[in-house]
Amino acid sequence: MENTGFFSFLLDNLSQFYSYTGFANFTLGHGIMIAIGLIFIYLAIAKEYEPMLLVPIGFGIIVGNIPFMPGYQLGVYEDGSVMNYLYFGVLKGVYPPLIFLGIGAMTDFSALISNPKLMLIGAAAQFGIFGAYIAALFFGFSPEEAGAIGIIGGADGPTAIFLSSRLAPELMGAIAISAYSYMALVPVIQPPIMKLLTSKKERVIRMKAPRQVTKLEKILFPIVGLLLTTFIVPSGLPLLGMLFFGNLLKESTVTKRLADTAKGPLIDIVTILIGLTVGASTQATTFLTPKSIFIFILGATSFVVATTTGVLFVKFLNLFLKEGRKINPLIGNAGVSAVPDSARVSQVVGLEYDKTNYLLMHAMGPNVAGVIGSAVAAGILLSFLS
Amino acid sequence: MKRYLFGIALIVAIIRPGVLQSQSISDLRINEVMLVNQSNYMDNYGNRSAWIEIMNLGYNKVNIANCYLTDNLNEPKKYRIPSGDPLTLIPLRQFVVFFADGITQHGASHLNFTLDSTKRFIALISPDAKTILDSITIPALKANTTYCRIPDGSDNWTISETTTPKSTNDVFTQKVSAGEKFRNFDPTGVIMAISAMLVVFSALLVLYRIFRTIGKINQRAVVRKQEKAQQPKIAKNEAETEISGEVFAAISTALYMHETESHDRESEIITIQRISRHYSPWSSKFYGLRQIPTRTVMHQQKK
Repeated sequence: MENTGFFSFLLDNLSQFYSYTGFANFTLGHGIMIAIGLIFIYLAIAKEYEPMLLVPIGFGIIVGNIPFMPGYQLGVYEDGSVMNYLYFGVLKGVYPPLIFLGIGAMTDFSALISNPKLMLIGAAAQFGIFGAYIAALFFGFSPEEAGAIGIIGGADGPTAIFLSSRLAPELMGAIAISAYSYMALVPVIQPPIMKLLTSKKERVIRMKAPRQVTKLEKILFPIVGLLLTTFIVPSGLPLLGMLFFGNLLKESTVTKRLADTAKGPLIDIVTILIGLTVGASTQATTFLTPKSIFIFILGATSFVVATTTGVLFVKFLNLFLKEGRKINPLIGNAGVSAVPDSARVSQVVGLEYDKTNYLLMHAMGPNVAGVIGSAVAAGILLSFLS
Repeated sequence: MKRYLFGIALIVAIIRPGVLQSQSISDLRINEVMLVNQSNYMDNYGNRSAWIEIMNLGYNKVNIANCYLTDNLNEPKKYRIPSGDPLTLIPLRQFVVFFADGITQHGASHLNFTLDSTKRFIALISPDAKTILDSITIPALKANTTYCRIPDGSDNWTISETTTPKSTNDVFTQKVSAGEKFRNFDPTGVIMAISAMLVVFSALLVLYRIFRTIGKINQRAVVRKQEKAQQPKIAKNEAETEISGEVFAAISTALYMHETESHDRESEIITIQRISRHYSPWSSKFYGLRQIPTRTVMHQQKK
């Protein structure tokens, strides 16, 4: 009799334990998301597509989709859980400005300063953001959601996370994953568009070597850049302020230790946290929705529009430039701020047509201008829609 | 000098005094007033009286202490709000309520005058007792109704039966998000796209213009610097022409000797100092060998 009682007690406990396990709470959604996480990790390790981002995000997706019984402060959306505390930095837009600090400390704006008209290409590529905004409104998204989706076209992960955390936090996971996925796919998406929109003659245009930039100009750039852009769009201050501050740390040359920390350990720590928590925020229940599919489609659209407008704008600009001062339209794609991937694409495609025409340094100009442009665009969306 | 004065004037014009005061008592507004309180808001003593709600419109804390409340502009110092009371520190976008019951011994929030259906004026005066921060003449009100600004802090005064002491007056107004407001005027998003792109372009265009100018100025400065650096060189060249023939002869002789005299590169150092090599068994090869390796011995061993 006692034995029966003991076994039933044991069975009860075991069945209760089983109800807590991942096996008992597993759904097809969890399986799909874990598979997506594994694909991300595969792409990062085997294909080396943005490994610094895709490994933390991919692993975060797996972490966020381990099935469990709710109510035990485990999940990223459960108050008081460790993941929830870490996710706070994403939700409140703390991490993206810190990443911008690191980006500022590692970015050399010389190419842009030596040929400032390249800034306009960085502005032109922001059409992708607003093209996607229009498309998202057409598909029935609210203006706030449309703004957050549109920023994918800026090709800037931290900006996308920052803006979506303010405008549409519920879509942040899908937007961040979409933005980083397309950034990793820049070498696949951009070249066909660039080739389609340019003639052979245009692709071999040789640009004048950039002049040497003085230290004074390099120091003035972050100060003037900050004052000007944030006076026009104060809502972009968290991103632009940190970007230019990081750059001043680098260019002043007297704060080498701070610059080294910003572009080294700090950005690494924040990248780990942001990657893991954004990945973990893609729980099957919130991520696997028709909206996410639309977000991916619109994200691709915005990338295509951004690349197209960047290239076409250079062609337009060339109409007014004298022979010898013309810009190779293959650097137009670099207006999207996927640094330095899109500039590298310009270089690779350029070398296909002329083995001695190195476009990398020229493409870095619009590339870093794109970072400023997308942060300004995010500020505008924020001030209009929040 | 004139240019400097113009610059200072420009800065003063941009940074207006109003802006400087933006995080200050100028953010205070009389936001809601009740004259006849029969069954409405009660004070801590369980009494009902006329009340005045003051709002801090700013985005920073404002200390209302030492400001004055009065029902008569001829007596601007009628009630000085005491300092040192936590009540007087109004957090951002928050409210404080004063009871016009004439019972000051009930605390800092109780005024030394009363308001009712006949006394219908209230003014908030700054600590200098001269500047009127806000004032309002209230129309005749039914019991338990208020005269309030909707939305909070706006110039739109309304008589309301819904009273909201210490909270926003906008509770019953329908909240429309900024995005929805934008969509009403721009359903397709085209206006947004155009206006936002204009802003992005203008921001980067101005940055372009500034850095083009800075670049030009800088290049000119570099050229000037180079020209300056070349001037002493020319002077130096002129000085070189005055070098005597003996110097050239000496240089030529040295070059000739260098070209013609062939000798190996020496590894030793020539010195006039005394060199002595001290003996030490530690550096002796003899002591370092355990067995002297002679060819004869090796052959014998093989055999």
